[in-house]
Amino acid sequence: MKELLKEMCLLNGVSGDESDIREYIIEKIKGKCDFTVDNLGNLICFCPGRKTSAKKLMICAHMDEVGFIVTYIREDGALCFGEVGGIDPSVILGRQVTVGKKHISGVVGSTAVHNLSKEEREDPPKTDSMYIDIGADSREEAEKYVSLGDPVYFSSEFVRLGENCVRSKAIDDRAGCAMMIKLIQEGTEYDTYFVFNVQEEIGLRGSRVSAFSLAPDFAIVLEATTAADIDGVSGQKRVCALGDGPVVGFMDRSTVYDKELYRLAFDTAKELGIPCQTKTMIAGGNDSGAIHLSGNGVRTIAVSVPCRYLHSPSCVIDTADLENSLTLVRELAGRICGL
Amino acid sequence: MDIKNMIFELCHASGASGNELPAAETALEMLRKFCPDAEIVGGNVIGSFGTHSPSKKNLVLDAHIDQIGMIVTYITDQGFIKVGNLGGIDRRLLPAQQVRIHGKHTIKGVICSVPPHLSKGESTVSSFDDIAIDTGMTKEELDKIVSLGDTVTFDVSCRSLLGSRITGGALDDRCGIAAILRALELMRDKESAYNVTVIFSAQEELGERGAKIGAYSLAPDVAIAVDVSFAYAQGENERKCGYLGKGAMIGISPCLSREISDKLIAAAKSGNIPFQYEVMNGMTSTNADQYSVARSGAKACTVSIPLRNMHTPVEVIDLNDVENTAVLLCKFMGGEAE
Repeated sequence: MKELLKEMCLLNGVSGDESDIREYIIEKIKGKCDFTVDNLGNLICFCPGRKTSAKKLMICAHMDEVGFIVTYIREDGALCFGEVGGIDPSVILGRQVTVGKKHISGVVGSTAVHNLSKEEREDPPKTDSMYIDIGADSREEAEKYVSLGDPVYFSSEFVRLGENCVRSKAIDDRAGCAMMIKLIQEGTEYDTYFVFNVQEEIGLRGSRVSAFSLAPDFAIVLEATTAADIDGVSGQKRVCALGDGPVVGFMDRSTVYDKELYRLAFDTAKELGIPCQTKTMIAGGNDSGAIHLSGNGVRTIAVSVPCRYLHSPSCVIDTADLENSLTLVRELAGRICGL
Repeated sequence: MDIKNMIFELCHASGASGNELPAAETALEMLRKFCPDAEIVGGNVIGSFGTHSPSKKNLVLDAHIDQIGMIVTYITDQGFIKVGNLGGIDRRLLPAQQVRIHGKHTIKGVICSVPPHLSKGESTVSSFDDIAIDTGMTKEELDKIVSLGDTVTFDVSCRSLLGSRITGGALDDRCGIAAILRALELMRDKESAYNVTVIFSAQEELGERGAKIGAYSLAPDVAIAVDVSFAYAQGENERKCGYLGKGAMIGISPCLSREISDKLIAAAKSGNIPFQYEVMNGMTSTNADQYSVARSGAKACTVSIPLRNMHTPVEVIDLNDVENTAVLLCKFMGGEAE
């Protein structure tokens, strides 16, 4: 699964531009399930199980990652951009990026620290004063390589940190995609729908239509969620911690999760002998927000891999949490279908 | 080796101030092609070029080998590495920045960043007290690899941008080193008007410390600091910058030798070598400031390669400026570059 994760993190798929990821996933799952691509680009898969359940289960993850879009090319060849998804400006400044399908290298530059006043050095950066430098000296030169609307991605390697951790862009939510590919390849106990959604990062948009199309009874959302178990943060503000297992929250900014499923997740983890944790702050949100209110309502639970530095080029997860999340979801899916 | 590959290789080797050895060894190997007796003395890479004669003045060509970075000050019980800065670092861009920690072997990490939901809306720029590095390791694991005093550099590789532009993390001042090496290549088999000694000096970013002892021991008559200076980009003051691609910036300042500035300008003009003026009204904050006042003094000047985003992981230069700097130095030394 780590190889799947690595290959997908190194592909690029900013919201609204998920085709490379989708094609990769189709390569990995074809022959294992029936699939269609809907009008928005959601990849909807049906896996016939060994058993049929009276209730319909949907497992989903999103294909898109946060990034940028080229909004303007200045006369001096610099590219202006907007964020796609929520990104802290301080993780944009001073980074290498990749622009468009031609994979043009660029950088987000910054006034040299020498030339900042004492006050400016303490002033957090703002995105609207940033630009992308691709080495072009004029608009004409830049336009040979870049068009307005081109997607821009963080460029980062996928590297191992320590024994178990990995560092990369886009782990949110290629981690969820990797788990789903694995489940499809293994085959499921019950008939199951798997949906690889688009446009989560810009407002849970893909899941809104895929959940409507499928109208499932139950949904399991696979995600990567904010872990803040870092230096100088203690108590509830850590939210969740790497190495403490899959994260099953009771509530976030988008959803109050189904109580029975919440308990079932923890009971299942306990029986499986794997760690499982909840979130200690009501923060963040995911496709559950759109799914649980779809149609007549969908009983929804989210299983997330704890992830540090979400929405940056340097997301960090513990791969043991990824493996444990997969183990939990595999078992939980069967139990939900048996409810 | 072409200039681009040379710079990429020089930048790939680490050399935060005070811990320059990997970069110094890479530069030493390159320098030995032109200065076979070159060696590392007191942290500085020093080599003497060609045959020296008592009738000629002694010229030192200086570029600094060190780069900005951080130094490990503490490892917390949870396995986070606390650091202090080596040189001027823009703390605004540190969150989630990727780094390399140069311990017994080099490991990778990320500078911790507090997620937005904890900053209560009002984000601030962290001081080094609050900055820590995440390596995915426990304290026990780290203790086997990382020691206090080890250095940290940005984990970034050089890349080509459009045309002749490149980006990277230690272009300040590895591109200056490349310019000097290229100048020596151009001077091969040519008669120099000076006895030329090359020094790739250590600890410039901490206050020109390597050059201070280098200047004392080499005691040159003339010294040229080949460093980088600000290239204009959005956010910079155009009046205080040069431009990428318009050639080396020749320094003019009350603390530099106007005679050498003029000679460099004359060399550029007579050789049709593109150049720019860099007028400063005091200290240059380069190693030239050390050479000018070492021992009984030397005629010092700066030749600077324009560079954007100085001291960030995404510095940008134009390779043509490096080549033109080399051609200018060659012309200055009395050899006509083709």
